[in-house]
Amino acid sequence: MPPKARKTGPAEASGAAETAAKAKVPAKRKPTAKTAPSSQSTTHVEPPTTQHDPQAPLQPAEASLPPEDTTRTNARQKKPHGGRNEDFEALLEPFYYGKSLTDPINTAKDKWNLLPAFLKVKGLVKQHIDSFNFFVETELKNIVKANQTVYSDVDDKFFLKYLDIRVLAPNRLDEDDLSYNKSAITPNECRLRDMTYAAPIVVDVEYRRGMTKIRRRNVRIGRMPIMLRSSKCVLSGVSPANMNTLGECMIDPGGYFIVRGQEKVILVQEQLSKNRVIVESMKGIVQASVTSSTHERKSKTYVLLKKGRLYLKHNILQEDIPVAFILKAMGVQSDHEILLLVAGDDSVYQDEFALNFEACATEGVHTQQQALDYIGARVKFMKKPVGGPMRRDNRADAIEALSTLIITHVPVHGLNFRPKALYIAFMVRRVLMAMHDPSLVDDRDYVGNKRLELAGQMLSLLFEDHFKRFNHDFKLNIDKVLKKQNRTQEFDAYFHLQSHGNHITAGMERAIATGNWSLKRFKMERAGVTHVLSRLSYISALGMMTRISSQFEKTRKVSGPRALQPSQFGMLCPADTPEGEACGLVKNLALMTHITTDDDEDPVRKMVFVLGAEDVTTASGMEVYGDGAYIIFINGTPVGITRQPKQFLNGFRKFRRMGRVSEFVSIYINHHHNAVHIATDEGRICRPLIVVERGKSKVTARYLQSLRKGTMDFDDFLSRGLVEYLDVNEENDSNIAIYEPDINASTTHLEIEPFTILGAVAGLIPYPHHNQSPRNTYQCAMGKQAIGAIAYNQFTRIDTLLYLMVYPQKPMVKTRTIELIKYDKLPAGQNATVAVMSYSGYDIEDALVLNKASCDRGFGRCQVFKKATTALKKYANGTQDSIGLKDYDPKNSRHKKLGRDGLVEVGSKLEQGDIYIMKQSPMNTSATGVGGSTATNPNDRRDVNMSYKLPDPSYVDKILITGNEADTTMIKVQMRQTRRPELGDKFSSRHGQKGVVGIIVEQADMPFNDQGICPDVIMNPHGFPSRMTVGKMLELVSGKAGVLAGELQYGTAFGGSRVEDMSDILLRHGFSYAGKDYLTSGITGEPLPAYVFFGPIYYQKLKHMVQDKMHSRARGPRAILTRQPTEGRSREGGLRLGEMERDCLIAYGASQLLLERLMISSDAHEVDICERCGMMGYQGWCQTCKTSRGVVKMTIPYAAKLLVQEMMSMNIKTTFRLEDEFPA
Amino acid sequence: MSQAYQPPSAAAGSSRGPTVISTGDVVTQDRAVRYICGDCDAKVTLKSGESNVRCKDCGHRVLYKERTNR
Repeated sequence: MPPKARKTGPAEASGAAETAAKAKVPAKRKPTAKTAPSSQSTTHVEPPTTQHDPQAPLQPAEASLPPEDTTRTNARQKKPHGGRNEDFEALLEPFYYGKSLTDPINTAKDKWNLLPAFLKVKGLVKQHIDSFNFFVETELKNIVKANQTVYSDVDDKFFLKYLDIRVLAPNRLDEDDLSYNKSAITPNECRLRDMTYAAPIVVDVEYRRGMTKIRRRNVRIGRMPIMLRSSKCVLSGVSPANMNTLGECMIDPGGYFIVRGQEKVILVQEQLSKNRVIVESMKGIVQASVTSSTHERKSKTYVLLKKGRLYLKHNILQEDIPVAFILKAMGVQSDHEILLLVAGDDSVYQDEFALNFEACATEGVHTQQQALDYIGARVKFMKKPVGGPMRRDNRADAIEALSTLIITHVPVHGLNFRPKALYIAFMVRRVLMAMHDPSLVDDRDYVGNKRLELAGQMLSLLFEDHFKRFNHDFKLNIDKVLKKQNRTQEFDAYFHLQSHGNHITAGMERAIATGNWSLKRFKMERAGVTHVLSRLSYISALGMMTRISSQFEKTRKVSGPRALQPSQFGMLCPADTPEGEACGLVKNLALMTHITTDDDEDPVRKMVFVLGAEDVTTASGMEVYGDGAYIIFINGTPVGITRQPKQFLNGFRKFRRMGRVSEFVSIYINHHHNAVHIATDEGRICRPLIVVERGKSKVTARYLQSLRKGTMDFDDFLSRGLVEYLDVNEENDSNIAIYEPDINASTTHLEIEPFTILGAVAGLIPYPHHNQSPRNTYQCAMGKQAIGAIAYNQFTRIDTLLYLMVYPQKPMVKTRTIELIKYDKLPAGQNATVAVMSYSGYDIEDALVLNKASCDRGFGRCQVFKKATTALKKYANGTQDSIGLKDYDPKNSRHKKLGRDGLVEVGSKLEQGDIYIMKQSPMNTSATGVGGSTATNPNDRRDVNMSYKLPDPSYVDKILITGNEADTTMIKVQMRQTRRPELGDKFSSRHGQKGVVGIIVEQADMPFNDQGICPDVIMNPHGFPSRMTVGKMLELVSGKAGVLAGELQYGTAFGGSRVEDMSDILLRHGFSYAGKDYLTSGITGEPLPAYVFFGPIYYQKLKHMVQDKMHSRARGPRAILTRQPTEGRSREGGLRLGEMERDCLIAYGASQLLLERLMISSDAHEVDICERCGMMGYQGWCQTCKTSRGVVKMTIPYAAKLLVQEMMSMNIKTTFRLEDEFPA
Repeated sequence: MSQAYQPPSAAAGSSRGPTVISTGDVVTQDRAVRYICGDCDAKVTLKSGESNVRCKDCGHRVLYKERTNR
């Protein structure tokens, strides 16, 4: 034991900060140093794995059935236990991890406390929820305001005006007209009953009826699916303790929808940012393009360089138009003014641009009128001229196109084209600059040029489209009525308004359920927008919520979009991306990110002028591009100029830190373009950083103290300007120190915590900074397949497929991220004691050796739940499916387990072939009436029983009977299997080291150490050298130290428990500092000839299990068309001898084997072939030759016969030419 | 559930195994089976062919089948 005492406390710190701390902190030892444990003392630390009681009784699967009551006691019934729960909650608050209120505060170490504070208000799944809230509360009203009034073409006095729109609390469909009672609907009820979790949308309207103006409040126009945990959800504001009374898990992140009983996520979509100029260079063509997007229109405009001349390109224009004409048409008439507006006084750019005036001379376009005529003649027909060939008014067309179609996001008020002309001149200048200096071409993959589209935006597009169609239909409808001169009663638009309710409801529901976003207005057709939330494990669900899918096509062979971008630092996880096809295109958000929602531009614009900027529209080109002048852009549109950009920037930031503008407004200087950019748009990724002023971090111990005390929260830090959000562009214009000692005079910000560059899924890996990078990526994929606990309500859910681990454990070596995302409360894995050694030869190629006794005790034991569902359909003729013992046969063993209601008894064991639902369906389901009288009795019924198909038995866990929204009775049967590990089951550590069970060994034959501890798993050491997963070794050492000291250790990225400290603990408990143990062979009883690396490693059981894959076939079903064996395990298919295998046999010359494999054992077929004509006949007769002479029998593959016949059907004659098999 | 055991009506055999099978004809007479409400835990009796699945006490629409005592 070393006399040199070190800090061994559980508090961990990040690398450099800690080294600094260590230098100052004098030798200090925590009183945790206990006497070396006896041989028994370790056993209580991890009971299920290290106990070596060989007599542990094997638990029969039956015993793990939950007792009768718990299965059906709904959680809602249980009352919260008064105040005790609330007290307890305080202990679970995120601040106290490893720290008590009275512990001293060290800013360098404890600033990470800001992270849990951040995650309380923002981050992870909150961006989905924020986006949805923004949509429901703000965007919805904007959409309605933009489409406020409906007029009639027939009666010009009629109007209907929407005054307000609201989304009410979610309720059931049949409660929609009951306004007085509060609905008791819960999300879990929607899951169980296959309903949609939705709330009514109501509007206040004002309209004209006869001579009076009528106002109506709360008119229902449809139903909106509600995101879980959003402000409209019943779960919002419910304390975690009360969450289970609603049947919901308190850890479940929300952020998804429940549509028709399925949990649907709208994935985050990544796109190139809208309304920003992007300069590209492709095959020598330099072009600047901008995708304009407003509520009305989307269009793309290009300024491109062709043969040295600059042109403007747009869909509406038949040909590319020289930019000089465009500028002239916009009222910049003199060539000199154009030149200045584009090039300023820079002679290089002037020379480059001067060429473009040549076109003016050749085409004779000198004035605005001439330019408009020129453009108008080239504008494509926008609308069909009404009433025959009308003369086109070129000028009007040109003005229309220029003002509303080209670069639509720059508004033209009262034919003032100046801002738009400036914008085009600016685009031209960017092209000139890129021509001159190719390095000024923009990077499309730069994260600052990207925007993320969230659920709220997707829904707002959808709703806008449906609302417009709703209004359109409504208008058509009232026009139809108003056209009639004499009405029986006074016309009331209210009744027409109500009759269209279903369009919006059904449209939204269908879009979310299928994922097909089809918007008529933008001609947008996008499939696969929504996905079913993967509930394989808690991590897979969480990982799905942070996933970002890219809109780029996958087939392109460019690596750019897939590559790791330096600018994604801190925003997107560098490790978490799938392998293969979607590699690098599907990304994940880092831990501490937020995605902005839209902020109002106007206050920002005012602020710009308050800070002393000049209006850009009144400035000449000379001033705009003059020396030292910087253009100020708001969301990509120039608004002002300033000559003190740095001062302007600082002033603006000061206002933002004071809270005078939204904290999500970003500002940065681009010195290449002499521009100050301000962004207020939605979809920017940003993250919080600590503000540094005058070389000092603004977050001091005092603030951290009040944070821990709870007197300040994250928003207070924001409003006091201690912390601010930076988006990617601003981040790249800042000087960010990672650790406090790195701060120097030019530092502007300080990182809150380095490990937040990883995402939630990569955050599970202990010591990831010691691993080879691809290993972390592999673990990110595998962590989502691990079996564990899914949610606190996992037993009340009935999923199609559900994997649960019987005894999950929290990892010995955890990370801060694990605590923050609460993985330790819903873990997926067990701490296995691992011996890294070779054993038995059944451990090659990553195979694992498992201890049989450990499996008996429950290591790797899991439960698999499967759902079978059936609905008792109602038919048009009034008949209905039914269940019941109609054809019950007491002697039929397959009927034995059925109860009196035709449903299997709960708790019984189902074996292959057993019927578990006895259901009858009416024979005649057609609507009664004409032609259908085929004398079938309406009471004639046919059996449509459901029988158990799997070869392995299951137990009936529960049977649920309910009615869905359409009031059809539904039956869900949940079946359960309990599985212990078997040969070939897949396990993995948290370091991308997967392996299958190679052999399960009796505990007696396992090696053991001095204390008699046997490993649960033996891993072959060959797994280490090439994989370089040093993190796994560190996990073992820290885990072992943790077991001995009786505490959990940390493996947080860029920090974590230090190896030296761990070695100290090991030494203190009488172990080798390297984590190696002396082992005795269980087979020979002799000591092993080497020390063995031995300790706990967290192992995950992956969902790939042999039982679900094992398959063989001797003979079996064949496909109808080809008569070849079917394919796939589910169809009891054959194992294909593919083309590569065929090639081998050909090369080897095994012709008889080929014949057997490809024909005799597959689809041999006997045909009659006419030797004369080579066609196929039948029964010894050739139909072509009308003779039976020369017809011979031979065997060919059925597929060949089919080919011949298919060719024949296409008028291609195919014949056989026969030779003697044994020529003379 | 401290409820007293209620013997099944008529001749519905309460014994397990093959004797239940012998009561196949009885099954057609009384096909009411008890279910348990997912909300209030009350016992709900449903007749076969009854389309309105609902707890008589609390109106909850999710019912579970009782665990067998066979």
